[in-house]
Amino acid sequence: MSDFEHPASSLASDRPKVIVLSLASDFGCQVQLSNFPYLLESLSTIDLAYWQLVISADMPTDYDLAIIEGAVTTTKHLKLLKEVRKTAHTVIALGTCAAMGGIPALAGHGPSPEERLEDCARTVYGDYAARIAQNRIVPRPLTDVISVDYSIVGCPIDPEEFSSVLQYALLGVKERPEREPLCAQCKIIEAPCFYTVQKLAADDACQEENNKLSGLYRGSTDIPCLGLVTRTGCGALCISRGRPCTGCRGIAQDANLESARNFIREQGRSVEEFDRALAIYCSHSMNSAVLNDHSQVSG
Amino acid sequence: MIYKIIAKQAIEDLFKGLQENYDEVAGPRACGPAFVFDKLQHACELRLDYESTILPPTKYFLAPTERLMRFNRVTGESYDSEPVQTSRAIIGMHPCDINAVLLLDEIFLGDFIDPHYAAARKSTFIIGTSCMPTVGHICNAFGTDEIHRGFDLFLTDLDDRYLLSCRSVPALELVDKYLAASDPTAKDIDDFQERTKRFKDAFTFTPNMDQLPLLYGAKYNDEQLWKDVGDDCLCCGACAAVCPVCYCFDVCDKLDASGQTGLRYRSWDSCLKSEFAEVAHNHNFRPTRASRVRYRFYHKFVGNFSRQGKMLCVGCGRCMRACKVNITPARIIGALQQSQIDKEDATGDGIEKADDAE
Repeated sequence: MSDFEHPASSLASDRPKVIVLSLASDFGCQVQLSNFPYLLESLSTIDLAYWQLVISADMPTDYDLAIIEGAVTTTKHLKLLKEVRKTAHTVIALGTCAAMGGIPALAGHGPSPEERLEDCARTVYGDYAARIAQNRIVPRPLTDVISVDYSIVGCPIDPEEFSSVLQYALLGVKERPEREPLCAQCKIIEAPCFYTVQKLAADDACQEENNKLSGLYRGSTDIPCLGLVTRTGCGALCISRGRPCTGCRGIAQDANLESARNFIREQGRSVEEFDRALAIYCSHSMNSAVLNDHSQVSG
Repeated sequence: MIYKIIAKQAIEDLFKGLQENYDEVAGPRACGPAFVFDKLQHACELRLDYESTILPPTKYFLAPTERLMRFNRVTGESYDSEPVQTSRAIIGMHPCDINAVLLLDEIFLGDFIDPHYAAARKSTFIIGTSCMPTVGHICNAFGTDEIHRGFDLFLTDLDDRYLLSCRSVPALELVDKYLAASDPTAKDIDDFQERTKRFKDAFTFTPNMDQLPLLYGAKYNDEQLWKDVGDDCLCCGACAAVCPVCYCFDVCDKLDASGQTGLRYRSWDSCLKSEFAEVAHNHNFRPTRASRVRYRFYHKFVGNFSRQGKMLCVGCGRCMRACKVNITPARIIGALQQSQIDKEDATGDGIEKADDAE
């Protein structure tokens, strides 16, 4: 949560000074920003002082708004973030890695994150593990380190959503994140449900239809659709392209994980597989106790 | 009402007539293993044998998202607030869905007239079609298995021909101009009666509707009953999205990239979302899933019933197909009707899932 009441009050200048920087990530969300068709219009509302991906100048020391991509994985990141939080009036976490740990956080997934991290380092660097990236820490989202005013999830982010949130930030309007899982959106775009299709395709009685159906949701049938518990807001993009939901927007606040797991079990699928698929983007929130507390609150 | 008989192939002529007179012809077409109402280019895409569709055709009257106006934040001007006028013919609406439109009419054309709904309603020509109940269709419990108004034209399938019911002047004009129609003979009427009997006999399950509103009120505080469904609910709102008579919407503003201009739009909302009942100071008057599911069905079976004498459910079965965890009107009704003594006698955990029996 932010430590000020009206974010707009200090973003009073017509064109606030903005920086875009990246921690541990593949820069995909920054690339998405450059894919935004109305980028130039967006730029007219801000003074873009630094954008790690496209501006070669040094990062300035004063700015109003910091947009940060990627997960926190080193002590250097910790120091940088503390500095940014002190300077910037408003901080936006850009993308799943920054907002919820995302894929980098997998390196700390499990009951003992520190050990897991060292295991991962040994797997990747072998004998050099002790000498390389000595300042590494268990990967975590920005929100674990500093207060964040706005978060944009998605892997990668939707530039349209970025544009909206940027406007919220400039005006100091409160963000209204979606809380419910994806399924309703699938109905709205009238996509046949992944689970229904899979069930029909597995039915020997309709072999003829099977070829047609298997084309509907490409990719492995072993991977369950995570839309049951994943935060909506993407417009069911993957499903509309014939792929099951991979959960990149994180576990929805309203999600009922227990009931979803029961459903998976009733489908004859493995709950472990479901959880493993969910952990790809959501390992950090699955590790934290917050999630379990929450399911009781809304139960 | 004027009745005519047409051959099955005459649907192609009807389709041609509709295309010449309306901007868009919509009807059910196949989409993978499901059916959807969509804009049709050719009569061959039309699948009048569909069981049900993912979304109901009421989406043409209350769209999933709809522009209300555009505005300029700086000058305070608003513009583009006129409803979009597309003249549309919808072919193939089942009686339950036409009944749903009549229910929506009472809401959107009642005390307050919703200009967007009214415009869509006015510019739409409705052709209904007869159906056969399959699993999950419980329209017979709500009296929505028959329809006698709310359409322009209705096609009753008599195997090799259709019995046409014409209710409006444009419908009659269409029939006169495009269709080779004859007057019904005694045989046609006999066949119609036989079909009606077959239709009524095809319902394999009818929920017990006795004193339902009263029962609902009496069991409103039955914690176990609502906890059972609340524990199952995935909170996804898919049931509300596919419901032809769920009409709640949210109004939002979205600023363009320039930050100067923006769009005010409305989009479907659902009382199953935790945000739905959240008010100032983050107070939520329906904080649990159980309270939200209880509220949703209360509105359907009691709220609207005590106001307008009609339940807000047409028994179309869409929510039964959409819900992954079997929260259906049939299950709720079954749970409400189950006697306290039976419940205590039953081994296992409480309420039997009512439509397991189907």
